[in-house]
Amino acid sequence: TAVISPQDPTLLIGSSLQATCSVHGDPSGATAEGLYWTLNGRRLAPELSRVLNASTLALALANLNGSRQQSGDNLVCHARDGSILAGSCLYVGLPPEKPFNISCWSKNMKDLTCRWTPGAQGETFLHTNYSLKYKLRWYGQDNTCEEYHTVGPHSCHIPKDLALFTPYEIWVEATNRLGSARSDVLTLDILDVVTTDPPPDVHVSRVGGLEDQLSVRWVSPPALKDFLFQAKYQIRYRVEDSVDWKVVDDVSNQTSCRLAGLKPGTVYFVQVRCNPFGIYGSKKAGIWSEWSHPTAASTPRSERPGPGGGACEPRGGEPSSGPVRRELKQFLGWLKKHAYCSNLSFRLYDQWRAWMQKSHKTRNQDEGILPSGRRGTTRGPAR
Amino acid sequence: MSRREGSLEDPQADSSVSLLPHLEAKIRQTHSFARLLTKYAEQLLQEYVQHQGDPFGLPGFSPPRLPVAGLSAPAPGHAGLPAPERLRLDAAALTALPPLLEVVRRHQAELNPRAPRLLRRLEDAARQARALGAAVEAVLAALGTETRGPRPEPAAAAAAAAATGAGVFPAKVLGLRVCGLYREWVSRTEGDLGQLVPSGPA
Repeated sequence: TAVISPQDPTLLIGSSLQATCSVHGDPSGATAEGLYWTLNGRRLAPELSRVLNASTLALALANLNGSRQQSGDNLVCHARDGSILAGSCLYVGLPPEKPFNISCWSKNMKDLTCRWTPGAQGETFLHTNYSLKYKLRWYGQDNTCEEYHTVGPHSCHIPKDLALFTPYEIWVEATNRLGSARSDVLTLDILDVVTTDPPPDVHVSRVGGLEDQLSVRWVSPPALKDFLFQAKYQIRYRVEDSVDWKVVDDVSNQTSCRLAGLKPGTVYFVQVRCNPFGIYGSKKAGIWSEWSHPTAASTPRSERPGPGGGACEPRGGEPSSGPVRRELKQFLGWLKKHAYCSNLSFRLYDQWRAWMQKSHKTRNQDEGILPSGRRGTTRGPAR
Repeated sequence: MSRREGSLEDPQADSSVSLLPHLEAKIRQTHSFARLLTKYAEQLLQEYVQHQGDPFGLPGFSPPRLPVAGLSAPAPGHAGLPAPERLRLDAAALTALPPLLEVVRRHQAELNPRAPRLLRRLEDAARQARALGAAVEAVLAALGTETRGPRPEPAAAAAAAAATGAGVFPAKVLGLRVCGLYREWVSRTEGDLGQLVPSGPA
């Protein structure tokens, strides 16, 4: 048998190593003369070794590369016949750099999940342990997060026992065989980083016969329904065979919206998400939830192509958000004041639009049965 | 009077005596289990050498076959022993393996903390060896064969294994040896049970 010295050393990349293999008690009387070294299974050049004495073979390695595997590089001393006499594992790498870019969020104020970026892209060639620490800013002891890798390799989840209305200090410590590093401290209040579940029960339906509109309805996330907050919502939608989403983001504190300017006879996928900003009076923006599961619906078919768009149209009687409807609202308001047309309303306007589309369809059908080149007469509405 | 190796029939009894149906089912079931574990043991060994780095896993790699406290490989004469004795040795080895596999798992948790599949396989192997050992003992009991008297404490043997060979390289070699013994013994158990399985469909 033999002994290698040093046993399991830790070294910086680029450094040198002097090692020895000392044979003792070998019944075959092996001496250092026939011994040789391998590193990770590859025989090392003889000029790197020299015989120190009858029983000791020395090795000199310079400018070491980072370890090939985290369990250590296998430096092995062999007898002349190739049998293994002893081994030692080398750990060659770098100390950790300072972790940075810590970001945290709380789901419904019940927990805290944090993510960070390791320094030097994490490549230290050595196993590096990351520990997320946290404490209340003005009192309390340091705590260590225990549930790691919940949302990626550099993340941790604190599931419970979190205080509100008081700031936390959060940091990450990185440690390996060559040293340690600590991130900057992030200070936050749980209420400033709240997110929630996507809105449930998203329903998308047609608006009567209007071929360029769909109505979207949803329910506010139930987990936060007991807390005072002004939720913001965002809707995104896309045509069935497209990857481009259109986003409607001026949907504030309401649970319905009408999409206008859509293509007729087209299937749309719609998603909704929620931002619980202003919870318990927080001045911060809040964090958007995940998007709800896609809900699909199709607009009615029409001969006439619809205009482009992307705004959230009001339902009957609600204030307009598009330019045409805004102007129409102003006109109707003026009419009511000056022309005593008290029966005018958006509902009546929508009914007129639906009638216009129906009569347009009828006209086109009539034209379809006529010989080509001749146009039918336009018919007005039935009285 | 000849003794057919692997036969559970009493040579002096009527040759038409057959195994009871429930015993036959138990033997078939345990044999299938052993066959499955043989496959898992091979996968464990491959995963293990992959994470230790070369020369582990290279063809011709032959580390010193240091003895593992409390467990040795099946003896060359194992196949020539009577069936009950072979099964007793199988059960004893399968009982000794779980603490040794746990030692290896602890070493690997330090050496390869980012190898969750390897760590899970080691944990599963310990549990499965225990289960197979219990199943073999149940077969022996159903055969009316007494298990041998007290065996060396598996926990003490495992502690001895953990203490010997200080250093990372010896720990890697120990793990290779234990995984190899695990494969040898489940394979041996599969073979021994296979000789007891009556021919014909289940």
